[in-house]
Amino acid sequence: MTTEYMNEEHAAAATDDDVVLEVTDLSVTFPSDDGPLPAVREVSYRLRRGEALGIVGESGSGKSVTSMAIMGLLPRNARVEGSAKVLGQEILGLSDKEISKVRGQKIAMIFQDPLTSLNPVYTIGYQIAEAVLAHKKVSKQVAMARALELLEIVGIPSPDQRLKQYPHELSGGMRQRVVIAIAMANDPDVIIADEPTTALDVTVQAQVLDALQRARRETGAALVLITHDLGVVAGQVDRVGVMYAGRIVESGPVEEVFYRPRMPYALGLLGSLPRLDGDRSDRLTPILGTPPSLRDLPEGCGFAPRCPMARDLCHQEEPQLLLTLEGGDRGPAEAGDADGHTAACHFSGELTGVEASDLFQATSVDTEGVGSVAEVEAAESLIAEAREEYLEEARAEPETAPETAGSTEPEVLLSATDLVKHFPIRSQGLLRRKVGEVQAVSGVSLDLRERETLALVGESGCGKSTTARLLLNLIRLTSGELTYMGRPLHGLSDRRMRPLRKDLQLVFQDPFASLDPRMAVADIIGEPMRIHGSGHRDARKRVKELLELVGLNPEHGSRYPHEFSGGQRQRIGVARALSLNPRVLVLDEPVSALDVSIQAGVINLLEDLQDELGLSYLFVSHDLSVVKHIADRVSVMYLGKIVETATTEQLFRAPAHPYTQALISAIPLPDPIKERTRERIIVTGDIPSPANPPSGCRFRTRCPKFAGELSEAERTKCVEEPPELLDRGAGHRDACHYSQVVELI
Amino acid sequence: MLVYTMRRVLGALPVLVLASILTFVMIDVSGDPLADIRMQQPPPTEEVIQQAEERLYLDRSMPERYWLWMTGIGGNGDIGLLQGEFGPSTQGPQYEIGPAIVERLWTTLRLVGAAMIFALGLAIITGVISALRQYSKLDYTLTFIGFLALAMPTFWLAGIMQAGGVKFNQLVGDQVFATIGDGRFRAEGQPLGDQLLNAFAHMALPTIVLMLISFASWSRYQRTSMLEVMNSDYVRLARAKGLRNHVVIRRHALRTAMIPLTTVVAIGVSSVIDGAILTEYVFQWRGLGDFFITAVDNNDSYALMGWLLLSGVIVILANLVADLLYGVLDPRIRYE
Repeated sequence: MTTEYMNEEHAAAATDDDVVLEVTDLSVTFPSDDGPLPAVREVSYRLRRGEALGIVGESGSGKSVTSMAIMGLLPRNARVEGSAKVLGQEILGLSDKEISKVRGQKIAMIFQDPLTSLNPVYTIGYQIAEAVLAHKKVSKQVAMARALELLEIVGIPSPDQRLKQYPHELSGGMRQRVVIAIAMANDPDVIIADEPTTALDVTVQAQVLDALQRARRETGAALVLITHDLGVVAGQVDRVGVMYAGRIVESGPVEEVFYRPRMPYALGLLGSLPRLDGDRSDRLTPILGTPPSLRDLPEGCGFAPRCPMARDLCHQEEPQLLLTLEGGDRGPAEAGDADGHTAACHFSGELTGVEASDLFQATSVDTEGVGSVAEVEAAESLIAEAREEYLEEARAEPETAPETAGSTEPEVLLSATDLVKHFPIRSQGLLRRKVGEVQAVSGVSLDLRERETLALVGESGCGKSTTARLLLNLIRLTSGELTYMGRPLHGLSDRRMRPLRKDLQLVFQDPFASLDPRMAVADIIGEPMRIHGSGHRDARKRVKELLELVGLNPEHGSRYPHEFSGGQRQRIGVARALSLNPRVLVLDEPVSALDVSIQAGVINLLEDLQDELGLSYLFVSHDLSVVKHIADRVSVMYLGKIVETATTEQLFRAPAHPYTQALISAIPLPDPIKERTRERIIVTGDIPSPANPPSGCRFRTRCPKFAGELSEAERTKCVEEPPELLDRGAGHRDACHYSQVVELI
Repeated sequence: MLVYTMRRVLGALPVLVLASILTFVMIDVSGDPLADIRMQQPPPTEEVIQQAEERLYLDRSMPERYWLWMTGIGGNGDIGLLQGEFGPSTQGPQYEIGPAIVERLWTTLRLVGAAMIFALGLAIITGVISALRQYSKLDYTLTFIGFLALAMPTFWLAGIMQAGGVKFNQLVGDQVFATIGDGRFRAEGQPLGDQLLNAFAHMALPTIVLMLISFASWSRYQRTSMLEVMNSDYVRLARAKGLRNHVVIRRHALRTAMIPLTTVVAIGVSSVIDGAILTEYVFQWRGLGDFFITAVDNNDSYALMGWLLLSGVIVILANLVADLLYGVLDPRIRYE
């Protein structure tokens, strides 16, 4: 078994014997009531032994369907054409008996959601042994022994106990490692991983990607990594294929595609991505329009309706996937040059040296609703007008007019001191006794100043959303103090809180669940005004203005939420929050449910609104790249406590707390060379339960410093003494006894 | 698992007590057991009524009577559930409720048990077939049959079946189906073959009627649950491991798809008992259904209470069994 498989495709010379998976002109069509749905069109690729191929694309691009078709896992009614050969054997159209010999043995698969990938009623050991027994005639004991060995390889602690446990007793990251163990059980030649880390937190993602690497090293398997995350692709694969509307539109070595994209779509994707290694002042450039409906594909190039470069030819003739040659020429790809850089664009030559910002516009209008540059300009002027109106409106209300503070320091609007929220855990019995409590938030203090964006970052379960709700007084504090412009909010009755709610508004994470599906959009946006009885004579006019303000078509007020896409709905949510002229917006993961190209537009909108309207944002997020882009200051939370708080600049340049360092280094950079050469700080294990947090420093159980660098005496301090959040100078505070600044980006 | 079982059993006890109180109060306030005597012409003397009241313990207050009904302490030895006595009957001092109920319980349980087993088996089979062949002609046919069965009222279905049975007997010129009575005593002492044949003749039609009531909805339920599981990630992963299709269906899909059905079946027990009353009436079985109707006719409150409590106990037991089965089938519940 070879261990130096990565980046060594040149060593394995292009002999056909080395091809483990060859897909040729694979097409998948689903029948539907409205006619056939071509989900995948003529996809071809070759995969050599030990090689890693990334397939990237947004939701609906056909990347998952392609791999399901290869595995023969599509529903019966799907029509699959073309060919897929594993080690020279055709595997499309095999009988159940024949294909089950290939699956698991030669080609294995890892699915997206580890929480649903394992059968809840069988033990971990049984499910791994089952994979062994499916292909090898060995005794159950031997299969179990192999299962144990596999669990060790993927890095699961105390594997002998885990064998007897059921899936629900393991965390998501552990379960995904079990799935990896199952995939490598029979030393397959190819492993297809379909978004294997999308459902996981970043620190766990780093662990799982590591396990995947080990699995490949151990089995020598080639990898097909399907993902929407360009950062993951950059670090994990040798070659990459970009899919759009069911086709591969660009493919080539990962450095080529990332540094010298030859298809406007790939360039656009890269440009719409907020980057950890980018500058805050860079504006994101969303791609206009939405991916075409597969039912109704445009005649020429699938991307032409959204492409700023599109010409007549693009709308008439679909470009083939051709090799890009030096000097901008295009030539046919031959069988031997499967490693070359190919692109499906008539004018790929013109993209030499072009940046995303040269081609795409940095705009905050609803990019999904517009099709052309002219429309964008029209929409932008509407936004500008709407902003004027909104500001006038706001000035007319004296109570919310910003007070001109004498000092140069911006005024603190919302201030929290030692916020604590404990949720009781009750017994299952009739009495429902209190048997413990979840310490969701344990002593959080923060100040939100005027016109500033404060980001609250952390992994799932760290208490960031609970903190956001506490700040809005939506749930009762267990203890602590909360003031808005100097007035205490804690303990206020709902009735006395209500007038203040005008100033403090909330935007939710899920754009689908946060809008009442039975209300017209105009009613949704107008509802807060009705509740507060601000008796708008022309409420309808105001709703139109608000729609314009968030970049939507003002004529669409009578439509219902289901007629809008995710990004558009999130804009509606923002419009609703703005209807009362608030001063503070709490944004709870506002863009995490959106595809990157759409996310960019919403981020731009939020930034513009803040600049123009002077809003203050509390931005709750798990995504450090987005936070880096939008925030002025950042507070990092871990298990109910803030572990570090600093300006964005300070935090990313010189993170001091080991957790912040681990978090930053776990975010994959969409840059192949940087991603592969950067320093890494890896944390082990999962977040402990907030019902029973570790004594002393809560991070110590996973802390790389605690495990690796500290002496016994120093560790005692971590175990016994909870570290205070102390100022290290210039407002940069961290809660670590032994904090030390590390440069990571 | 032991702790889980203990907790479930202990949890069932207060429900049982509550059910007994509810049963007692509801029957007690809903009618006068002596209404028939009072209506007699010529009117009975005050003494006769007083005697009857004493015999039925109607001279005591309601809480006293409940206590008496449960424990029998301070009674005449004919009352007290904990002592195995169901109380005096309005149908005369010689009519004993306890033995009557036990005798009929067996008759009815035979019918209910057989109907439920067949309904469950058939529901699982058709549900699974429907799910595996979704939107095929077979699926549509089974769906149609299911909704047809769902739409037919029990008494009407029973009547049709009975008439059909009679017609069939006439056609073949032999008594294949017995359409009247439960026939328990008819074949006693005969050879085993004859006994079985007799049991079949009497049971076949009522069992089919009673079975169809629950079969339809259970089958729909199993189909939905199976479809959900077949589209789940773990079934896809099982296939991706290289397991054969039939192994995947049996080991991974069917087992998990049956978990939700246990709850539905447990809840369905009460409706099967409902159906049994009507079915027994149409086929003139002397089972619990007939017992219930006679008791209502005679304002026989203790008999009614006994009957209601018994069916309550059966429902509670069925739910307890379902809970325990759930624990066996689903490890997530076991370790909660």
